[in-house]
Amino acid sequence: MIFENFGFYLKEALLSFRRNLLMYFASIMSITVIFIIVGIFLLISLNLNFLLEDLESQFEIVIYLKDDISTTELNNLKNDIASREGVREVTYISKEKAFQRLLKNFEEYKDIFEVIEGNPLPASLEVKTEDSSRIESIAKGIEKLKGIEDVEYNKGFLEKWFKITGFLHWGGIAISILLLVASVLIISNLTRITVYVRRNEIEIMSLMGATRWFIKWPFLIGGFLQGCIGAVIALATLYKIYFLVVDKVQQSIPFLPLITNRIELLPVGLIIVLVGCLIGFLGSMISVGRYILE
Amino acid sequence: MIRMFHVDKIYPNRIVALKDINVHIKKGEFVFLVGPTGAGKSTFLKLIYRGIIPTRGQVIIDGINISRLKPKYIPYLRRNIGIVFQDFKLLYDRTVYENIAFGLKAIGATNFEIRAQVKKVLNLVGLEHKKKAKPHLLSGGEQQKLCIARAIANEPMILLTDEPTGNLDPDTSWEIMQLLFHINIRGTTIVIASHDKLMVDQAKKRIIRLDRGHIIEDNPKGTY
Ligand SMILES: Nc1ncnc2c1ncn2[C@@H]1O[C@H](COP(=O)(O)OP(=O)(O)O)[C@@H](O)[C@H]1O
Ligand SMILES: [Mg+2]
Repeated sequence: MIFENFGFYLKEALLSFRRNLLMYFASIMSITVIFIIVGIFLLISLNLNFLLEDLESQFEIVIYLKDDISTTELNNLKNDIASREGVREVTYISKEKAFQRLLKNFEEYKDIFEVIEGNPLPASLEVKTEDSSRIESIAKGIEKLKGIEDVEYNKGFLEKWFKITGFLHWGGIAISILLLVASVLIISNLTRITVYVRRNEIEIMSLMGATRWFIKWPFLIGGFLQGCIGAVIALATLYKIYFLVVDKVQQSIPFLPLITNRIELLPVGLIIVLVGCLIGFLGSMISVGRYILE
Repeated sequence: MIRMFHVDKIYPNRIVALKDINVHIKKGEFVFLVGPTGAGKSTFLKLIYRGIIPTRGQVIIDGINISRLKPKYIPYLRRNIGIVFQDFKLLYDRTVYENIAFGLKAIGATNFEIRAQVKKVLNLVGLEHKKKAKPHLLSGGEQQKLCIARAIANEPMILLTDEPTGNLDPDTSWEIMQLLFHINIRGTTIVIASHDKLMVDQAKKRIIRLDRGHIIEDNPKGTY
């Protein structure tokens, strides 16, 4: 049925656009702004995840060893830890290496270090994990092993990180949902108005013997187009803004990892356009169901 | 073709528009529904195309009891009934041609069918030369003809017209009446609600006379 008369539906929908140009313009602009905001949240969320993945590779547990540990004990320990689930890599840092690192990192205090007799730094094992959320459990499991002086990991930072990203993530979702509901209402409202504007056409069609769906389709297509056009404009704008911002950020913080791969951003575009179409359809559906009876 | 059994219509404001109506209008008949304003003529027509449902009684159209018709079947009832409204219900921002085409499109006619039918009915009512005009540029009689053309474009079994000569001069009214006779001769059942005394007297057709919701006369060859 829809395909048979699609030309007519589209023509009537576009006729309605032409006649109420200003109202449709306002509606589409609102949808555009909403989708830009939602898109920004989506991009921030994606980038935080991307950043986390990058940071995760740097998170590690440092195990300080007792000075009297034997070579066999050390090897056993190293193998044991390496075989644990979630552990990616174990590196041994000898006392000497630790001291050299210290010297290298704090060259300006070289004099002070030279006064110190012997090497006070402990040897250590540096453990890289596969997943930052498992650091704590892995560290807890290692603590009880023999030959270990102390286990250190960056608990505070991780907790803060999850707190901040979690807040941004859920806050973004909540605001996005509110805005999307608002956009449904915007489209539903304009559909209600156009149903009123076209009440003569609707009455005539109904009295001529048009089915209810036949009468409804032009309005549904109208809503669909509003959502779709709004989303597409938002997408084009977001694309421009995003790469502009990414450029600026990378100039001032060059090592900050951001998503620049266009393929990785494709799902964002698809989601925005799909949700736009869906919302347009839904919004008009609500009004059409309520105001076009019999 | 049209039967009513003990039909009452009481509007929500408790006005009794029709009371115990029993009629039988056969296929191909030409019937005048007469009576003073407020007698219930328009209400009678609305019952036939299910613009309203009777408060009591049965309305049967072509063997189907439409009092209990499910809403989704109403469009198919209406495709068999052409209606000429008292207030025309034309689309004034569309041309003569588009007004008729719109009505046909509404019931899913193809573009090919539409072109053929619109041409045919415009010829029949004599508006072929005005097909590109907007309705507000037409005279009252021409607008009435356009309404008739739109109503019969789908070749319905029944044609209902509400006060078709209401605001027209006698000559134009008679022209419209001739047109309706012509359509009737081709087999369409026609019901005309009218209080145009001159017209009804000239036509010498069946008259159903309503007064305050009651049928007070049903005369096969009456005068007003
Ligand atoms: N929709 C309506 N609601 C309430 N009362 C109505 C409605 N339509 C008609 N009436 C009343 O019903 C009576 C019959 O009206 P109508 O059928 O229009 O008469 P006619 O067409 O013969 O002038 C009148 O008293 C009118 O006021
Ligand atoms: Mg009337």
